[in-house]
Amino acid sequence: MSKIRVSTTVNGDHAEFLCESTSSLLDVLRDTMGLTGSKEGCGSGDCGACTIMLDGEMVCSCLVLAPEAEGRTVATIEGVAEGSVLHPVQQKFLEHAALQCGFCTPGFIVAAKALLDRNPNPTEAEVRYWLAGNLCRCTGYDKIVRAVMAAAADLRQERTPA
Amino acid sequence: MNAPEQMKQFRHIGTRPIRPDGVDKVTGKALYSPDFKAPGMLWGAILRSPHPHARILSIDTKKAEALPGVKAVATGKDLPTLESLVMHVGEGASDIVDISHNCLALGKALYEGHAVAAVAATSPEIAREALGLIAVEYEELPFVLGLEEALAEGAPVLHDTVFTKGVDPKPDKPSNAAMRVEMGKGDVEGALASAAATVSGRYTLEPVHQGYIEPHACVASWNGDGQAQIWTSSQGHFAVRSLTASVLAIPQADIRVTPLEIGGGFGGKTTIYLEPVAMVLSKKSGRPVRLAMTREEVFRATGPAPGAVIDVRLGADADGALVAADVQFLYHSGAFTANDAGAGVSSAIGHYRIANTRVVGTEVLCNRPAAKAYRAPGAPQVNFAVESAMDELAGKLGIDPLDLRLKNAAAEGDPQTSGLPWGRIGYVECLEAAKAHPHWSAPLGAHQGRGVAGGYWGNYGGPSTVNVSVAEDGTITVATGSPDIGGSRASMAIMAAEVLDVPYEQVRAVVADTASIGVSMVTGGSRTTFATGMATVQAAEEVKRLLCERAARMWGVPADQVEWRSGAVACLAGEAQGQTLSAAAIAGRSFHSGGPIAAVAALSAQGWLPGFGVHICDTEVDPETGHVRIVRYTAVQDVGTAIHPDYVEGQIQGGAAQGIGWALNEAYIYGENGKLDNAGFLDYRMPVASDLPMIEAVMVEVPNPAHPYGVKGVGEVPIVPPLAAVANAIHAATGARLKDLPMAPDRVYAALHPQG
Amino acid sequence: MRIVVMAPFDKEFFGTGRLDLAPRNLFDLVGKLDALAPGFAAIAQPRVHFAVDGVLETDWTRPLAEAAEVIVLPRVGGG
Ligand code: FES
Ligand code: FES
Repeated sequence: MSKIRVSTTVNGDHAEFLCESTSSLLDVLRDTMGLTGSKEGCGSGDCGACTIMLDGEMVCSCLVLAPEAEGRTVATIEGVAEGSVLHPVQQKFLEHAALQCGFCTPGFIVAAKALLDRNPNPTEAEVRYWLAGNLCRCTGYDKIVRAVMAAAADLRQERTPA
Repeated sequence: MNAPEQMKQFRHIGTRPIRPDGVDKVTGKALYSPDFKAPGMLWGAILRSPHPHARILSIDTKKAEALPGVKAVATGKDLPTLESLVMHVGEGASDIVDISHNCLALGKALYEGHAVAAVAATSPEIAREALGLIAVEYEELPFVLGLEEALAEGAPVLHDTVFTKGVDPKPDKPSNAAMRVEMGKGDVEGALASAAATVSGRYTLEPVHQGYIEPHACVASWNGDGQAQIWTSSQGHFAVRSLTASVLAIPQADIRVTPLEIGGGFGGKTTIYLEPVAMVLSKKSGRPVRLAMTREEVFRATGPAPGAVIDVRLGADADGALVAADVQFLYHSGAFTANDAGAGVSSAIGHYRIANTRVVGTEVLCNRPAAKAYRAPGAPQVNFAVESAMDELAGKLGIDPLDLRLKNAAAEGDPQTSGLPWGRIGYVECLEAAKAHPHWSAPLGAHQGRGVAGGYWGNYGGPSTVNVSVAEDGTITVATGSPDIGGSRASMAIMAAEVLDVPYEQVRAVVADTASIGVSMVTGGSRTTFATGMATVQAAEEVKRLLCERAARMWGVPADQVEWRSGAVACLAGEAQGQTLSAAAIAGRSFHSGGPIAAVAALSAQGWLPGFGVHICDTEVDPETGHVRIVRYTAVQDVGTAIHPDYVEGQIQGGAAQGIGWALNEAYIYGENGKLDNAGFLDYRMPVASDLPMIEAVMVEVPNPAHPYGVKGVGEVPIVPPLAAVANAIHAATGARLKDLPMAPDRVYAALHPQG
Repeated sequence: MRIVVMAPFDKEFFGTGRLDLAPRNLFDLVGKLDALAPGFAAIAQPRVHFAVDGVLETDWTRPLAEAAEVIVLPRVGGG
């Protein structure tokens, strides 16, 4: 089987790779491009650990075929911080101890940033439903929800009570 | 040691600094098990039995070996034949022969998903294709999944070498009853007969999975000279080393295990599944080999917590004093002997003072994956039955359920089930805190009900090694052998900074590989902050002593003429009186004062104390659908001392969420054919964010006198009370007492509409 | 000294829950118990905890001259 050449943009940089027609974008990101920040918890679209942005839409990269990235824009957890400056969602995850093992964290951060990019003032219920596609087994979600709410407040330039 | 009784103001203990591994984890840089690659690495894959019980007549690997790109194929025959040897691996005792046969079946496949062969190839695609070319000839055997079915006369017996342990005389026939544990005292039947009120019931639970999001994975590289490296995430890389070396019958020091970041374990990563297989494939191919499980493999082949059938009878006086308890249970052990029955027995009723007790636990082998530890292993099942029965008893007696528990709650000096007296436990304090909490008296809405349950877990101490070293600039490195599964690097840095009275950022904690630090037991049993923390404190104290001694020699004064003060040494006498030397000043010149400054503490920590928790749950039950919503949840727990309160709360919240999932949704579902029907996150439904409210963690601090900072274990307890707390809340909301988990909408609906 | 053997070890090894022995320390006790029921020593480390006068003791070298009672009970690990 001959491989397919794909030309795409990943975290703002032009990227090319060869893949099987059946490869998932997640596999290519992780194994071919070395971007292991996106995790595989299930490979079936049920855990959200592989969440990325594809042309500005939140997707499970385990469900995207790698050739579909042709000509499109891919954004992963590795591109969320600006250089060494963390995005407010990342900073609030740290401050609120919203991670224990941290394996689900990249998916949550990409998903939470996507939420706040379109809704800067979500309610707790909106946060919970938006993140319902991401599984976390360690935290019980309490501190994750608080971190996202705090990041939203931060992004709105509001002062938040500690 | 500072006696916690005269607790001084702490500088760091109880603060909430950012964890040292945090930035790596929020930016995607942290390296977990499935992320690791070695140069020249091959990709492995495992062939698994499609049958729940089958004799393996032959395995023909020739076609697979001939496939271009395939570099090695292995079967159970490639593992050495071992003598039976029971080993402790942190989660309990296991026979190394069973562990080996679970890694690769020999002779029989004992459950659907049991590994029977493995390949390593130049790509994952080729490895998977090769699996299809391995021809296994099976003779299917009758199988058994249910607990009572497995014990019935004529049931298929899994192992002809298992004769029930713990019965006298020894059975003359093998059976599926692996072990029976009975403890008790007094006259249970007499006390029940004369009790003013009694309740009884049968409770059932299905096996559930730990549900860590990171599937098992490892890379192994085994050279011709016998030396090997393994990169893997686990709850204990020393356990990985000792178990892998034992399965392969090679020296432990020939294996260097490097711990990668771990994506959750909850007890399920205290054992090995892949490592010996990857080692064999590596040796055969001469290249590093990665083995990684899919989520489906995780469900089919790694250890669930046992399901159970539990019969409970409780009796009390009219004023609510418990007089008798009879608890008899069967636990799934799966394909191999597990060890949860003993823990179930000691976790059943020890939180109450009862004169007449009988607790009998039996472990039952069946054609399911081998049961493995899951957070407070063996406790939640039996607690669900006992705490549901307590609720029923409170109703019968017309006593408030918290008051009934308070009336009977065990305290320091009261006997446990084993007869040993409890140490400084905090059950009464937790019950009182729950009663005083506004949640307990808050108003409820329509279709809502409030439940409460209490529970405990014994916790542990055990062996840990820690190395505290001072860099030339006076900054401190704490290296432990304990994998960090939920923030322990931060806790170790806090404790060392507390001892040395230096800024938190001056101390960095790392998890060292098996060649770089001494043996440490698994991160499990809620032991790490206690035991590894104790070693950290001891090593930091020794570093402090060394720094003082060096400073004294630098000043030329006797050692008792200096004092540690605010992170530096102060001179109390002589010409230098009033001067100070910082750690940087001492360490920077340490090469000329006797050499580098470092201290190792290797200890086996004693004096651990159990943790107790009391959970309050409000549910709202939809009478039309049977759907149960958790409206409010409060988890009260005696944590000893919270070193880093954020991560203590996190443990409590996470454990409670897992317990809620167990109560409402999670269960292994098998088809008539003995195959698992829900081997994925879609059909094995764990709680998501929209299923849960905020979970309020209330930390009660009853310090442990045996720990320098009063630490008790925290991680296990919070999964114990939720099962009954949810069931009791459903009862309060609807009047229906559900005794079978999970309490999924169909079951709740049926209980609400018995006619229809 | 009174040795109280809890389940499952009472039935699994000794046929009784009460023994009277005079061990020097817990290593010595393991040896004496193994002499009574061969095989006990092999499982003692992974499966057994000892309590000396009501307190769990994982240091098997501790002298027992002053002790009145040792309880042999199942070791509980954890997750
Ligand atoms: S790995 Fe893509 S959703 Fe789980
Ligand atoms: S932090 Fe472990 S799964 Fe979310």
